[in-house]
Amino acid sequence: MEVLTQLLGRLHPVVVHLPIGFIIAGLLLHWTDRKQQQLGKVIPVLFYWGGLSGALACVSGYFQYLGEGYLYDTIKWHLWMGIATTLFCFLMMYRFKEASFLKPINKIPPTALTVLFFVLISITGHLGGNITHGKNFLTEPLPNSVKNFLGLPTYEKKQIVLHEEDWQDAQLYDEVIQPILTNSCVSCHSDKKMKGELQLHTIEGILKGGESGLVLEASNADESDLFVRMNLPRDHEDHMPPKDKSQPSKAEVELIKQWINVGHPFDQTIGESGLDKDYFLAFFPKKIEVNYPDVQVSQAHPDSIQAIKQFGIHVEPISKVTPYLRVSCINQPNFTDSDFKVLSAISAQTAILDLGGTQVSDSIFGRLGQLPQLTVLALDHTQITGEGIDQLQSLQHLKSINLSHSNFEESHLSALSELKSLQKLYLYQTNVQQNNDGTFQEKGIQVDYGNYEVPFLPTDSIVY
Amino acid sequence: MDNLEALIKEHLNKEAQSKTRRHFIKSCSSGLGGLALGSMLMGCESFSKTGSSSNRSFSERDLNPLATIPPPFSPKVKSVIYLHMAGAPSQLEMFDYKPKLLKLHGQDCPQSLLEGRKFAFIKGTPKLMGPQAEFVQEGESGNWVSNFLPHFKNVVDEVAFLKAVHTDQFNHGPAQLFMHTGSARLGRPSIGAWATYGLGSENQNLPGFVVLTSGGKTPDAGKSVWGSGFLPSVYQGVQCRSKGDPVLYIEDPEGISRNLKKSTIDAINKINKEEYAKYGDPEILARINQYEMAYRMQIAVPEVMNINDEPENIRRMYGVEPGKESFANNCLLARKLVEEGVRFVQLFDWGWDSHGVVKSGSIDMGLRNKCTQIDRPITALILDLKQRGLLDETLIVWGGEFGRTPMQENRGNKKMQFKGRDHHGDAFTMWMCGGGIKKGASHGQTDDIGFSGVEGRVSVHDVHATILHLLGFDHEQFTFEFQGRPFRLTDVEGSVIHEILA
Repeated sequence: MEVLTQLLGRLHPVVVHLPIGFIIAGLLLHWTDRKQQQLGKVIPVLFYWGGLSGALACVSGYFQYLGEGYLYDTIKWHLWMGIATTLFCFLMMYRFKEASFLKPINKIPPTALTVLFFVLISITGHLGGNITHGKNFLTEPLPNSVKNFLGLPTYEKKQIVLHEEDWQDAQLYDEVIQPILTNSCVSCHSDKKMKGELQLHTIEGILKGGESGLVLEASNADESDLFVRMNLPRDHEDHMPPKDKSQPSKAEVELIKQWINVGHPFDQTIGESGLDKDYFLAFFPKKIEVNYPDVQVSQAHPDSIQAIKQFGIHVEPISKVTPYLRVSCINQPNFTDSDFKVLSAISAQTAILDLGGTQVSDSIFGRLGQLPQLTVLALDHTQITGEGIDQLQSLQHLKSINLSHSNFEESHLSALSELKSLQKLYLYQTNVQQNNDGTFQEKGIQVDYGNYEVPFLPTDSIVY
Repeated sequence: MDNLEALIKEHLNKEAQSKTRRHFIKSCSSGLGGLALGSMLMGCESFSKTGSSSNRSFSERDLNPLATIPPPFSPKVKSVIYLHMAGAPSQLEMFDYKPKLLKLHGQDCPQSLLEGRKFAFIKGTPKLMGPQAEFVQEGESGNWVSNFLPHFKNVVDEVAFLKAVHTDQFNHGPAQLFMHTGSARLGRPSIGAWATYGLGSENQNLPGFVVLTSGGKTPDAGKSVWGSGFLPSVYQGVQCRSKGDPVLYIEDPEGISRNLKKSTIDAINKINKEEYAKYGDPEILARINQYEMAYRMQIAVPEVMNINDEPENIRRMYGVEPGKESFANNCLLARKLVEEGVRFVQLFDWGWDSHGVVKSGSIDMGLRNKCTQIDRPITALILDLKQRGLLDETLIVWGGEFGRTPMQENRGNKKMQFKGRDHHGDAFTMWMCGGGIKKGASHGQTDDIGFSGVEGRVSVHDVHATILHLLGFDHEQFTFEFQGRPFRLTDVEGSVIHEILA
């Protein structure tokens, strides 16, 4: 039995469309027939079926309410409006039949009743839709301007960006604190939607507090609910924002704390507040260090990548967000200069090239010069001496070269100092003597000669 | 590689003829009706030939589960070396300098610290124990290192410390599981398994995830700390040994020549290929591939695991002991493996559980010996990776499963023979070094006696999120569907520790 009632309950979302259909059909028939008045006998039939199916919808709806654990408060308006609609349906049937026991109502013009009925069924249907899809299902896709016009809450994430040169001049509250509150709190705490009677979208609201009192305790974050509740463990009952909502970052919570601790100033710049730069580091634009140039290139054709892979060369996008490729001969130690031609199809996309441990010789440099986007190059464990390495000077983005364990000669070193973007150079186990003439240092190029040692210490052999 | 090419080609040729029933039903637009009609006319197979509209082809992963996949975001590192000091090293004698604790040495631990706390062995009111090591501030960063690590202090500017890591486990097994799988219960994949599953491995002749152990014992939590959990088992760590055969049974048995082995595998593969022709199941191709990889590994693994070919100065630098099982050997091996493109190298060194019950487990002697054992190899590993240009693309993680108490252990409420500290998960030190890490950084601070983190506390999940971030993943997006829900390494927690990122 329980199964049946639950099944019937779950049919409610289907069943409800029957009375809606009958009723709307009846209303439309009445509208088209309002002049000729020829269909007087059909319309009551439609309302009759509307009423019957409406009753079925009410019963199934009631079972759904019982079986699916809805709160009475959630569904009460829909429930009573549904019953009202059903009763109204029968009323309309008798009205159109001009039944004698409805004398007082028969005086009301049917068109007025139909308008009322249309309003009634629209509201009932809308309330039902709200239960299944959520209250803002319908309005959510509207643009903010329309939402504002309708008085609906609008809510837009604000980016907090500070800059190295003028971070101290930024307004602490307007440019940092308020955006944090806007992003994390205001969707529930504003004049549009005032949970806990708290508004956090204005200074007045913040100072006024909510139903459990003030949220700010001057200069004492640990006593201020605004910070305390953000700082509670996420699964704590009182944690804010609620755990299923998007959370402020650790840096943001920390900053709220610091802002309260310096007396929650509303009109000071960051510099005036005296807060340390460390608290704001998270809001400086991150310079993302990547191993490929900041130049747009097209994607390499999958077929050419496949062909190179079948040659035994590892080739793969550096990540899913870039067409630049990382190419490695780790599985193809027999790679020689002449094999380089297989890479020509991806010469525009190759950013990282690892030819370490292969058979390449000095004539590779001319070919490497044809990889305009080359950023990281490994030629370690090869026979190259560096003859012709000046041909790499055309490479605008090359920032790291690994020549360790090669026959690289000191005489070719100067050609490398001409490389525009070079930052790192590995010369461990080459024919270059460590020199400190400073040419590389001047240009900000880190040269690693290796040969590190971990000297013997007397303590090494002590066993306690 | 030639083999793979041949396999793909063969697959494409045969595919149309060898649709399984499932493929057929899937691609047949008329569904079951078509199935009935087809069998009435001339049987499934010939019908499917004409009925097939889509030409489904397998991905490289179907054929080779270790084929590489690019990470979602630009990675900072391509390999990870994780150094785990099993038993939990004392942060108070290595990195977390607490001069106040020295002043309070010998005093009773305040009750407020003990209330509501569980300790593994401490009973009653223990006494505080000052640091048993001397500390110096080293390098430009001025980070503290103790005299237990006289070599490591010279590379202190290369690493970034996490001084206030915390865990909710205080027994070795669960804490190790938590540290490596993100859950104190069995069944989750380890970090290395996640990394190999998500990225694959570049070298086709070596496993993607290698585990090396030293110190005489494997970790308390057993092999689950490098297990694959619910991920396909091919992503679990492969335990290699630095003594004897690097992988058990890797050598051909006596009397079996390499040629015979080859023809055996060829014969098996031939049968498998016939099976494949019949059923078209990509699993069979994957199996063929696995056999061939194992065959290649028989050569490649002993080669990479041989430290005798390394030049003398390198071996001296690490302090290797050929023929023995040692942490130094494992560090050198870790470098070699990473150099060969292995994705994740996991080192476990046992013997850090300094309770003070025996001399080898005492804070002032046993721990000091353990420090001596790792000091040189770790320093050498950092420097060696650096001079080879590998430190830019490798991440080294160092840590234990938890930390140790500022109180001296008083097992059975008695004064013990040796100085020891109990398990403590509230605050301990870890460090990271390598690509994407802010050199010389130190994040987090503990209170005056090193009992709890007071600033910059980070959880085990945060550490995991950071490791995944450096490998190019968003830890919240990197999931595996299992038992009806997507699983993450970091479960529902964790945030990237940006403070230690360059």
